[in-house]
Amino acid sequence: MIEIRNLTKIYKLNKKQMKESKTTNPLKTAVDDLSLRAVPGEIYGLLGPNGAGKTTTLRCISTIIRPTKGEIYVAGHEVQKEPEQVREKIGFLTGDIKLDPQFSVDYMFDFFGKLHHVPQDKLRARKEELFDYFEIRDFAHKKIKELSTGMGQKAAIAVCLVHDPDIVIFDEPTNGLDVVTARGVTDYLKKLKNEGKLVIISTHIMSEAEKICDRIGVIIDGQKVAEGRLHEILQETGTGDLEDAFFELYRERKGEAL
Amino acid sequence: MGGIKQICGKELARVFKDVKMMFSVFFLPVIIMIAVMSLVSNMSLKAEQDVEEHVPVLYVENAPDGFDGFLKQAEIAYTLYPVEDREMVKESILNGDADLWIEFPANFQEAVSDYQTGDEVVQVKTYYNPSEEYSRAAYNMISTGVLEMYRQKLLAQRVDDMQKLTVFTVNSDNPDMVIQDEQKAGGKVLGTMLPYFVTILLFAGAMGIGTDMVAGEKERGTMASLLVSPIKRSSIVLGKVFALMIISGVSSVVYVAAMVIFMPQMLGGSSGEDLGISLTLGAGQIAMLAALLVAIAFLYSAVIVLVSVFAKTVKEASSYVMPMYMLVLVLGITTMFTTSTPKDWFYMIPVYNTSLALQGILTQEVTGVQYGMTLGVTLALGAVLIGVIAKAFESEKVMAI
Repeated sequence: MIEIRNLTKIYKLNKKQMKESKTTNPLKTAVDDLSLRAVPGEIYGLLGPNGAGKTTTLRCISTIIRPTKGEIYVAGHEVQKEPEQVREKIGFLTGDIKLDPQFSVDYMFDFFGKLHHVPQDKLRARKEELFDYFEIRDFAHKKIKELSTGMGQKAAIAVCLVHDPDIVIFDEPTNGLDVVTARGVTDYLKKLKNEGKLVIISTHIMSEAEKICDRIGVIIDGQKVAEGRLHEILQETGTGDLEDAFFELYRERKGEAL
Repeated sequence: MGGIKQICGKELARVFKDVKMMFSVFFLPVIIMIAVMSLVSNMSLKAEQDVEEHVPVLYVENAPDGFDGFLKQAEIAYTLYPVEDREMVKESILNGDADLWIEFPANFQEAVSDYQTGDEVVQVKTYYNPSEEYSRAAYNMISTGVLEMYRQKLLAQRVDDMQKLTVFTVNSDNPDMVIQDEQKAGGKVLGTMLPYFVTILLFAGAMGIGTDMVAGEKERGTMASLLVSPIKRSSIVLGKVFALMIISGVSSVVYVAAMVIFMPQMLGGSSGEDLGISLTLGAGQIAMLAALLVAIAFLYSAVIVLVSVFAKTVKEASSYVMPMYMLVLVLGITTMFTTSTPKDWFYMIPVYNTSLALQGILTQEVTGVQYGMTLGVTLALGAVLIGVIAKAFESEKVMAI
């Protein structure tokens, strides 16, 4: 289970960043008092436009960055107090996380397996399963730098799942993937959910959220503006599909006609 | 501290499983060093031989009778010309056509043979051009050697008993004049050079790989995948530092071995023994050296990884590490020229103390306390740096994530 209690993340901007975002305020609130709860056996989707705070939230859950305020519990462990235990439970992947280009997929899989203390026989079984599912076997011996973007992404997904984590966190899981690979990934996420695992993803693709998420949290400007099952959000906003619902929420939040 | 072994193993695999990398890190510098040194020593040897084989061109003014015969007797090859135009001779020496000009005074023979007590002693003048190799060699051979022999010959004609003029000689028959501990003497020569070489080799060997270790991962975007692994930040740091220690250790062993094996080539034929750097080390000395070298490798690796952590790119890290290298180099060199006995507190100065202690071990002059202080300070500073690096790993800003 993931439980976020009043998460706030404030970044300090340097002069260059302030100039880039055309502001004189050196503090930028990326996530503002956000709370949510996601449970095993569901796919929870964080939906929002670029810069809404989705990635920051996922990074806080994964212990890569520290919350400014608030608490996050992952499988009962608080991210700031027991970061190693949290990392033991999760598999985290984003487009920014890349595998070392100098090594082969095989080597990286074994390397991260050992870091996660996966026993040798289980490691072999996991490799068998994941390499088959993502059709990696043919290029497993190749160095990451020799792979195409799609192949590299598949390899990265397999590696991040090496330890069969109970909680899977994917930032924009289908970003940059071709339609076939993207389908493969979303199907795998559903499979994980069916196995009783908790999957939390971020996305700005409405159709993706509609299709695979059991519950959706809509985030705008770092704040959660709606949460629930698809039909609940549609009902709440009085709209027919998620895109209309999102724009309704966006209009309410920004207070302007779109 | 799980994960250290895996991280260390991966960093080592990066180097040792890549033939190109192995070649560029371990062998290319050695090949370049040997080639350059061999070329330089061969060229200087050739130049020396050329000077030796050259027949000096001498201009002799007012040559006394029998001088030519004396030179022939002394078995000296030369080409002798009488001086007709002093300006022309000067010009020839200046542009290297002539090597030496010997000027006897016009009345040389009379002045020597008719010498009475109280007469002014005649002077023979020689002129040469120190910028010309041939001229300098001719000057050294003739002005200080041959003319002295000629003086002795003329003196023998004037004085019946030459022994009378020699009040005493110094060490003309004393083969035991050198009293020294051979071991210590060998250590002294090696001790002046070794700290310098160890500094260069350990630091330089780690520099290229070390700057890439963290900054490279940041640049390639691969650091975050390590940061979401269930291991402590300090384990990542230690794994990388240990790997760097091994790499710098291996590279310095390769360099030193190559230097020893190819020493004759690099020095143009002379071996270490000829240079007085033969040395046998006791077991105690070897153990002390080994422990100290491991400590130095640890400190240097920590320094390089620290630089790599704070740099955003490998390029930036390389430029940051240069001043560090210079500093380490300068501190290494200082021990080469220190003659006074170092004070005890010198052994508290990081980096400098390791050079002093290395020298002290070889000359057997370092005390247990001084050695202990050096080892302690080096390891403690290394540990502090590891702490700083681990702290920096926690910082979102520094890790640029």
